[in-house]
Amino acid sequence: MSTASTAGSPTTAAPISAAGSSLAAARKFKAFATTFSISGPVVYCLTVYMNWPVFTFWPANDHFDWGMVTKGQGPNMLWYGWTLTAILISAGLGIIAMLLPERVIRKIPLALVWIFPILAIPFVVYSLMFWWRLAFKQ
Amino acid sequence: MSGLISSNAFWTIWLFVHLILALGLLGALTHQAMAVALPARKATGGIITRYRAVPAAGYATAVCVLWVLTFLVGSFIYTSYRINIRIPLEQEHYFKTGGFFDFKEHVATLGLVLLPAYWFFWKNAENPEYDNARKGVTLVLAVMCWFLFIVGHVLNNTRGFGS
Repeated sequence: MSTASTAGSPTTAAPISAAGSSLAAARKFKAFATTFSISGPVVYCLTVYMNWPVFTFWPANDHFDWGMVTKGQGPNMLWYGWTLTAILISAGLGIIAMLLPERVIRKIPLALVWIFPILAIPFVVYSLMFWWRLAFKQ
Repeated sequence: MSGLISSNAFWTIWLFVHLILALGLLGALTHQAMAVALPARKATGGIITRYRAVPAAGYATAVCVLWVLTFLVGSFIYTSYRINIRIPLEQEHYFKTGGFFDFKEHVATLGLVLLPAYWFFWKNAENPEYDNARKGVTLVLAVMCWFLFIVGHVLNNTRGFGS
């Protein structure tokens, strides 16, 4: 990573580092990073809703099963599998975006990077309804 | 770990490592959030002004590394939580606590997937095209981090160190 200039910081007068990093400057990395982060929250919510874990983990005996498995020893854990599914699909979409022309990538609104995770929160709260129901039954 | 340290000590050490990483992440992200939300042109005056005038871009890589490390250590501890903490919580009818922990795990993943764009925006901080997106994603990550930290802290108080 190279050292960046201190001029023109949009937010602070303090120095900015590594603006000249080759990875950060790469057009294809921009396409990958923005597509990955925009699609990530959407894909994650979809993965949780559809229950698509890449694998199921059984912590009682440290056992893994491919896909969604409900019968095993002790409680199962799906969150690892959901997270990996979301990362793999988002990375796939990011790689596809790298192949698209620049003019298409420039049309993607960058604000979606922070809007989608905010919109995901109500869904996440709703997806945990079984906990809230139990809590309010008491 | 049998023979070296007890299982309790083993998980307590990892919980402590998780806490230290989380504290570093919280500090870095809060600095950055303050720098983008209330930018200060000069690092002069009181502590608040100096706090807002940090070289925010320099934190980006550290934030990404700390988020991933905290996430990985938290994921490791989660296996013990699922057996040793969650089941007793359910038996004691601490449903809101259990629900908020599950909420926390989802938020941690939502934050994780934002990191590539976050890093890209900060490494191109001289480009005004990314100003709003950088500000938005930084503030979202900072709010997420505070939420994760507070829920983790409360959960630890419910059934954490030494339990």
